[in-house]
Amino acid sequence: MNRKKDKGFESPRPFKLTHQVVCINNVNFQRKSVIGFVELTIFPTVVNLNRIKLNSKQCRIYRVRVNELEAPFIYNDPTLEVCHNESKQRNLNYFSSAYAAAVSAVDPDAGHGELIIKVPSELWKQGDDLKVLKVYIEFSLDQPKGGLHFVVPDVEGSMAERGAHVFSFGYQNSTRFWFPCVDSYSELCTWKLEFTVDASMVAVSCGDLVETIYTHDMRKKTFHYVLPIPTAAPNISLSVGPFEILVDPYMHEVTHFCLPQLLPLLKHTMSYLHEIFEFYEEILTCRYPYSCFKTVFVDEAYVEVSSYASMSIFSTNLLHSAMIIDQTPQTRRCLAQALAQQFFGCFISRMTWADEWVLKGISGYIYGLYLKKTFGVNEYRHWIKEELDTIVDYELKMGGVLLHPIFSGVKEKDNPTPHLHFSVKHPHTLSWEYYKMFQCKAHLVMRLIENRISMEFMLQVFNKLLSLASTASSQKYQSHMWSQMLVSTHAFLKSISNVSGKDIGPVIKQWVDQSAVVKFFGSFAFNRKRNVLELEIRQDYTSSGTQKYVGPIKVTVQELDGSFNHTLQIEENSLKHDIPCHSKSRRNKKKKIPLMNGEEVDMDLSAMDADSPLLWIRIDPDMSILRKVEFEQADFMWQYQLRYERDVVAQEESISALEKFPTPASRLALTDILEQEQCFYKVRMQACFCLSRIANSMVSTWQGPPAMKSLFTRMFCCKSCPNIVKTNNFINFQSYFLQKTMPVAMALLRDVQNLCPKDVLNFILDLIKYNDNRKNKFSDNYYRADLIEALTNSLTPAISINNEVRTVDNLNADVRLILEEITRYLNMEKLLPSFRNTITVRYKTNCALFSNYFHNRLIRQLFSRLIKYLFSP
Amino acid sequence: ALSAGQKRTHPAHIPGHFPEFPDPHTYIKTPTFREPVSDYQVVREKAATQRRDVERALTRFMAKTGETQSLFKDDITAFPLIAARPSTIPYLSALLPSELELQTLEETDSSEQDDQTDNENTTGNIINDDPGADKENSMLPPSGGVPSTKSSEDNVIDNPYLRPVKKPKVRRKK
Repeated sequence: MNRKKDKGFESPRPFKLTHQVVCINNVNFQRKSVIGFVELTIFPTVVNLNRIKLNSKQCRIYRVRVNELEAPFIYNDPTLEVCHNESKQRNLNYFSSAYAAAVSAVDPDAGHGELIIKVPSELWKQGDDLKVLKVYIEFSLDQPKGGLHFVVPDVEGSMAERGAHVFSFGYQNSTRFWFPCVDSYSELCTWKLEFTVDASMVAVSCGDLVETIYTHDMRKKTFHYVLPIPTAAPNISLSVGPFEILVDPYMHEVTHFCLPQLLPLLKHTMSYLHEIFEFYEEILTCRYPYSCFKTVFVDEAYVEVSSYASMSIFSTNLLHSAMIIDQTPQTRRCLAQALAQQFFGCFISRMTWADEWVLKGISGYIYGLYLKKTFGVNEYRHWIKEELDTIVDYELKMGGVLLHPIFSGVKEKDNPTPHLHFSVKHPHTLSWEYYKMFQCKAHLVMRLIENRISMEFMLQVFNKLLSLASTASSQKYQSHMWSQMLVSTHAFLKSISNVSGKDIGPVIKQWVDQSAVVKFFGSFAFNRKRNVLELEIRQDYTSSGTQKYVGPIKVTVQELDGSFNHTLQIEENSLKHDIPCHSKSRRNKKKKIPLMNGEEVDMDLSAMDADSPLLWIRIDPDMSILRKVEFEQADFMWQYQLRYERDVVAQEESISALEKFPTPASRLALTDILEQEQCFYKVRMQACFCLSRIANSMVSTWQGPPAMKSLFTRMFCCKSCPNIVKTNNFINFQSYFLQKTMPVAMALLRDVQNLCPKDVLNFILDLIKYNDNRKNKFSDNYYRADLIEALTNSLTPAISINNEVRTVDNLNADVRLILEEITRYLNMEKLLPSFRNTITVRYKTNCALFSNYFHNRLIRQLFSRLIKYLFSP
Repeated sequence: ALSAGQKRTHPAHIPGHFPEFPDPHTYIKTPTFREPVSDYQVVREKAATQRRDVERALTRFMAKTGETQSLFKDDITAFPLIAARPSTIPYLSALLPSELELQTLEETDSSEQDDQTDNENTTGNIINDDPGADKENSMLPPSGGVPSTKSSEDNVIDNPYLRPVKKPKVRRKK
């Protein structure tokens, strides 16, 4: 392993940037252009510095001066023409390698750049005393395709009245798209930022706003920002617009900005932010590093959240009023993510791209702690399972995700990820999907490290990183302390070992230095004579995206006498593990059964195998391996696990497993869970869909009314008239989510003719008909959208042989009713739009189903028009 | 002829040859009206039908008087959809609650919603303490609580974005 053992950071550049001025004199919304200059203060670290390489893309550069002397420059962006008219090799492989080469050629982490400035020879000789150089560059940007995004609505009025605004955006280090800079996360400097904008607009940027001054004609004003904390150029951002300003009522140094008319929503959405601040400051025992914080909500944002030094830019769609239920937790999650990245990502930056996983891992991990505290342990474990399933599915399908790629640097051929069609050497050559999975894996691995060293030590490490960085940030450049603000894999691991005294080498080797996940197959037999559970755990480590696991694994066995944890060693050639059982199979004694959490419950044990004391078995219950487990146990064991295991992950696993056992006993277990109000609502929602699938498999033997119908009636309909749903009252969110989900799942029921039962369809139509939200404190837009989804779910795609086109005449009556409702809903939404046009959006997402049903091109055309309507202009 | 009760005699100013007053029962009135429908089912039914009729009438009217799109080629009047017109600032209508909703919010804020709360509290000391869901309940409402101290402190807040914009320094003319 050639991980850098040296402590300090070695800059790839022959100079060090200490300070940069960015001045944008003019922002023209009409032409979508900006004009300005930058001035970089640099210290040469070599004698005779004759060339300076900087990053710049799509900017037009007018002049460059070094210390007041005109300097010649060359500008070349190789990514503009990747393949150079190559006509022979028109394939993806060729493009991919050519593109990677082009990106490398201007990679700031290797000291390269698109803009090469020749230092005037008069200044060379001064090299002996390494004098300061000031590089002044005038530039303009016209109709940028990246970096800055202009939103200019096509209506009457001045730019401010039209709500025109502009904001910076970009994936990874993309600041070079809007001003010349050293576009690297490892080149820190202090900043002075000046933006002259129309007097009716506000320019929000990084750092402290020191003053705002009118220009001489009083028609414009200049915003002066100073950012004294050393910051990398990719963490600099800007947004300009006629924003409404809200000073946070709890924290006066925090300011929120939104587009005109949205202030009431902003007030509501932001009323919660201070709690997230308090949470992070408390767990990290560290103040928020910047002296101020700004949030800006913009339209047409590419991503919901992006964090920059002391400010975050959000999508305006995250704003919501107090009436909206579903969006509220989602928005709070986004705020929490943004704030976590302020500490790790913005304040603490990284040395190289290979260290990215540490930052993403830590910010994702502390965001997880926030989720656990705010939304509860169930939600947290559910989220971890969801993330684990996502990454496992991705890696098994697409091949491994490598967190810490090490490049020997010499040969291009030493590709650590040969299965991928792109290079992982640069952030800009990755696929977006891969990067998302990368972030997901990074925070899961942090959790694995936490399992190994405990949360207290974890937080101590973070605190150490932060306090080192904040000491460094207040130093002058000359003290060479700034590199303490950069995190590296090596320093992070060293800090862990110093703080905890534990060796986490195996964890790092397995999950960080190596890609892929583990795939287990488990089965068992009970040996009655020896009273021993014979467990067999096999691994598949030959398929793509898998690796071999050797080490400890936890197995939890629920027996009649209690729940027992066993730690097994997975070794090279041992598949079988004997686990001694504690209890004899003596079920005649009427005794309560102790569970893992100390609870004792009565169970009906009649479904059990008479000879075995085993109720259920779980492999790796704490998700401490990045794995997929396919475990075989009898249907009654899954049912016991669903009913009595208190862990939501176990419940969800058993629900997925029960789909393969369509029996009356499974049906009963699922129905019981649905009715169980103490059960986590997301488990109950999942149970709805499983129940409808089981009902479909059992269609010929199904007894009684359609699945869930009587349950829904009991829970949500009037006692005196069971066909009428109660007027909406969504004050209890658990039952709200269940009320929303059940009709959607019910509509998936099919009878023997593979049609949705008439009962169910009428039931859903009645729900729509009697839906009454007048007394409700909350909006019912998501509920109505789900009812529309239920209607579309109730259609069975037609199997058409001769591709006949459906016409009005040959529609059957049910379909007419459905269409009637949907048309009315869509029309109503155009007259009285719902929050985020939920209903139209849902209809659109169901369009595939619809057009399958109708074989109708026209419908597809309609959707494209709807999309234009929703996402115009 | 049948007569009931004592007929009123003429007052002094009415000449005697005028006809007699009618029988007293002529003046008796028994106000009658239809019993208001109080059956819950009927009320709900009525409200639902009424709303649906209004919505249908309104959307049909809008569809007939404006541009429409249709689902079927053969009969374009069958399920008329009001034509989707791109709006220039789409986020406004999509995010801001309509006046109707705001009105509802005000009404329901004052009147407690308690008809369904009784079945929420059916506690059994069984299963899964569910901190997740409980927390979620407690975190949402009440809406945007701006602390009451805010208005009084408003003048004290020192936020750079609230400071007045400075006048440019006058440069000395050369």
